[in-house]
Amino acid sequence: MKELAELLNEMQKVGVIQDYALFGAAAQMRCTEPVATLDADVLVALPSTKRVDVLSGIYEFCAARGWKAEGEAILVGAWPAQFVPAFSPLTQEAMEQAETADFEGVPFRVVRAEHLAVIALSVGRAKDLTRILALLESGSVSREGIGRLAVRHRLGEEWQRFENRFLNE
Amino acid sequence: MSDIQEMLERQAQWQEGRKALTWPEKIRMAERIRESARQLRAGFRHEVPGAVSRLRNQGDLK
Repeated sequence: MKELAELLNEMQKVGVIQDYALFGAAAQMRCTEPVATLDADVLVALPSTKRVDVLSGIYEFCAARGWKAEGEAILVGAWPAQFVPAFSPLTQEAMEQAETADFEGVPFRVVRAEHLAVIALSVGRAKDLTRILALLESGSVSREGIGRLAVRHRLGEEWQRFENRFLNE
Repeated sequence: MSDIQEMLERQAQWQEGRKALTWPEKIRMAERIRESARQLRAGFRHEVPGAVSRLRNQGDLK
């Protein structure tokens, strides 16, 4: 994971990406106990390009440093990294407001817990809903905080359904 | 308190304690979990067919 942090910082420094933030299970683990996950998910902001394959700059940069593509991901050290362009107002905001964590001496931008929860709500698979429960249980987010952010990103109904299903007895 | 209840509470405390690990420690633990799962899956693919045929030969599986 340290190699990934170094790679992302380098890509940002030379302009291959404008910004980035780790999200998904690897980010969740800052707040909760460790969870099983196969890959590291990274939101990226890319410079404007006329190329059809918007991630090609990232792939080329990684290949030049010996990190090879593996399916939909690039294997960086022990972690297959999946690069996801910030695709919505929610993910853009999550990336912009990310925290800079320290990973063994390397700065690493990581999406905040509330944004992690609301991104999980927007995706809505069973493992995403489990992530919201784990974040709530860890005390790193509150129901009110998630609710406010969800409403602001037009996910109020989804949050209401989640609360009724899992939190309102 | 029953033994089982006590055991479950100890397990819950142990799990709770893992939240207090540093983030890099948790990430390394996740790497080990993933590697164990990979080996288990590989083991199942290679071992189960052999195990079934061995059982069949022994007459334990009709």
